[in-house]
Amino acid sequence: MTDLGIFDDFADRLIGLIRSGNGLSDDEFGALALELHDCQRGTIGPLRSLAGAREQVNQWRELAAMPAAMFKELELTSLPPAQRDHVFHSSGTTTQASSRHYHNEDSLRLYEASLLWWFGRNVTRDEAMCFVSLTPPVSAAPNSSLVHMFERVGLESGGTVFLGQVDAGGAWAVEFNRLVELPSGIASGSKPVLLLGTAFSFVQVLDQMKAERIELALPEGSRVMETGGYKGRSRVVPKAELHLLIRSCFGVAGHEIQCEYGMSELSSQAYDTGRGRDAEGEEMRLFRFPPWARALVISPESGKEVADGEIGLLRIFDLANVYSVMAIQTEDLAIRWGDEFELIGREPMSEARGCSLMSVAD
Amino acid sequence: MNFEIPNYFLADLGPEAEFTENMITQAALTLRSNRERFLAVRDTGAIIRIISRTADNWLEDDYPIREITLEKGPAETGFSRATIQAGLDHFFERLNGETLEDLLHQELGHLKRLDGPCASRWETGKESMASGPDMITHIAAGNIPIPTMFSIVLGLLVRSAQFIKCPIGSSFIPRMFAHSLYDTDSKIGSCIEVAEWKGGNEALEDTLFRHSECVTATGSDKSLDVIQHRLPAKTRFLGYGHQVSFGYVTKEAISGYKAKRLIRDAVDDVVAWNQLGCLSPHIFYVEDDASDWALMFARKLAEELERRETADPRGKISKEAAADIASRRAMYEVRAAHMPNSSQQWCSEGSTAWTVIYETDTLFQLSCLNRFIYVKSTPNLEEVLKGAEMVRDHVSTVGIAAAEDEKEDIVKRLARWGATRICPIGRMQKPPLTWRHDGRPLLSDLVRWTDWEQ
Repeated sequence: MTDLGIFDDFADRLIGLIRSGNGLSDDEFGALALELHDCQRGTIGPLRSLAGAREQVNQWRELAAMPAAMFKELELTSLPPAQRDHVFHSSGTTTQASSRHYHNEDSLRLYEASLLWWFGRNVTRDEAMCFVSLTPPVSAAPNSSLVHMFERVGLESGGTVFLGQVDAGGAWAVEFNRLVELPSGIASGSKPVLLLGTAFSFVQVLDQMKAERIELALPEGSRVMETGGYKGRSRVVPKAELHLLIRSCFGVAGHEIQCEYGMSELSSQAYDTGRGRDAEGEEMRLFRFPPWARALVISPESGKEVADGEIGLLRIFDLANVYSVMAIQTEDLAIRWGDEFELIGREPMSEARGCSLMSVAD
Repeated sequence: MNFEIPNYFLADLGPEAEFTENMITQAALTLRSNRERFLAVRDTGAIIRIISRTADNWLEDDYPIREITLEKGPAETGFSRATIQAGLDHFFERLNGETLEDLLHQELGHLKRLDGPCASRWETGKESMASGPDMITHIAAGNIPIPTMFSIVLGLLVRSAQFIKCPIGSSFIPRMFAHSLYDTDSKIGSCIEVAEWKGGNEALEDTLFRHSECVTATGSDKSLDVIQHRLPAKTRFLGYGHQVSFGYVTKEAISGYKAKRLIRDAVDDVVAWNQLGCLSPHIFYVEDDASDWALMFARKLAEELERRETADPRGKISKEAAADIASRRAMYEVRAAHMPNSSQQWCSEGSTAWTVIYETDTLFQLSCLNRFIYVKSTPNLEEVLKGAEMVRDHVSTVGIAAAEDEKEDIVKRLARWGATRICPIGRMQKPPLTWRHDGRPLLSDLVRWTDWEQ
């Protein structure tokens, strides 16, 4: 049986660090990353095999990263089966295998500590808000890390109102009537609303609002947080267009729309810092992880970190992923801007792709 | 080289050019009028002469349009000069009077079928004549240029005006081919238009469709379906959907004295148009026993791909395509490290130039292409067909390498299973001119017949 003592100890130290609000120097981060990677190699066979097939490294940036996709086919956890109390699945379509990120009480405690501190800093900015989610509730989607997150962030504010449901085919849909009735349920002068949802749930709602010529005025100071891709669940709308629609339909300003980047295989999230402007003065959404997680942008050609302003694949080192794998290689493309990154949207690659599927009629 | 590309075609205006419905209408009306005056009046012999003279020009090293295509091609298309040259040379070598006459005989039963009523020796009591559509619109895929150029040749043979719509950034080589036809015979060149815009522009495309008796399209099943439903009821539609190809190597072939040659041939198939055509292999299945023939084949393939990269580099690909390869490699790195008996990989160092994945699992796997090839071991052909069941309706070419006495059985089995083309490994991306695309007729799908009973 795996002795989780070293992981529990690491998790306790990390929670202490998170709550302290202190940053981490590169050396401090590196020492923790190397320590955790070493522990994880001891318990997770595929990680041991992967790292063992490479040269020994002593820099955290060079540690072997596990492709996020491998969470679909391997059990990438230090938790013994009896302790896998909870599992988060990736939100892929039902026809594809989904990732499995296992948690127990201790890892969820750490997950929540990580979530709440960075969320409070970036999204609510420690203001009292009324939480409304376009996703289904936890009871309907118990294995969604996103839904878990949306529920958890609202707990101290009287609970999150969930407006989504899961249909018979397993797809998520927003109960539009409940959304339309929302403003009447919020007395004027009440707390501002934080409207949470995935990009595809916003598109579903915004399409219907436009078709029915409905606008919803949220209370002063309200914000919108959108996250995630589309995964074939609605038409794909470029980010800038989506945000314009959100602004016009919900009456919020551009800076009141917050983007999140997260995945079920991680325990920390990145938020856009809303500070970037490109050369033409256009707004750029630059994302940043909390101090205990770092993102590298890796050239798909050379496998090395790209220079500032260049595109590559995101590789994330999340110290809060104590009981699974800290270093995760994603398939998401991003541009490196210092220690922040800008996501590059791309069409999801079809799993069945032949020659003509690649490029045709576009 | 002192050839400047003139602005004959809409695509010459560059990717920033914006078109209106009125411009498309004008272009279509001009094409139809030119066709009436210059193309409909020519006989088959004249058309064959124009096409074969154009092909001959392309095979001359100092032909200006060839020079400019090879010089600008890498930047315009992403393919290396060597890849473009090999692909174009093969296409133009097989485009000559003899092969074009073979094609007409195969498709229409008589060389003069498009010139007037005639009968083959098996037809009695009637003579028949074939007529092509006044205008054909081709919605091209853009992944590789040859199918688009071949469509233009077929359209010329049936004397149709042609509008070729390419995806953004993919018209360069077809456009150069159109220029070369214009160069050979400007009147014939004026019956062709090439343009590029982002697909799904209904205003432009519907305008074009209204003026076309026939529309051909290459694309995903979904995009073909969308196009077909937008066509006027009387418009003929020829859609070419997903097709994939693979190779099958028997133990006899890999263990024989021709093994070295076989590896070179297999690499020819992988590097041709960087594997982006429907006829390019995703996988080589290698018949294996305990002797690790498939593993050896994979290792040798990697060595040859590495050698080939020096002489015929793959060239630059998009970040997205590179990211696909890097992501797939990262997964196989874990599998190879953790389960080395069932999976191994060989990769170019410091680039995504080439990748070989060896697997014991026979399930068909789509490659990321751009010189990313699977080698899968299999006990026999039956296991290959079981593994490829999911793509059975989408298989174009199966390249085979086998001993002479094995071939006929393999071909019969593959034909019954559903493969539409079987060829030697090394010729997968080099079909003859008479190759029936997706197992369907080439010209007889385009024409309308008139029977004259006597």
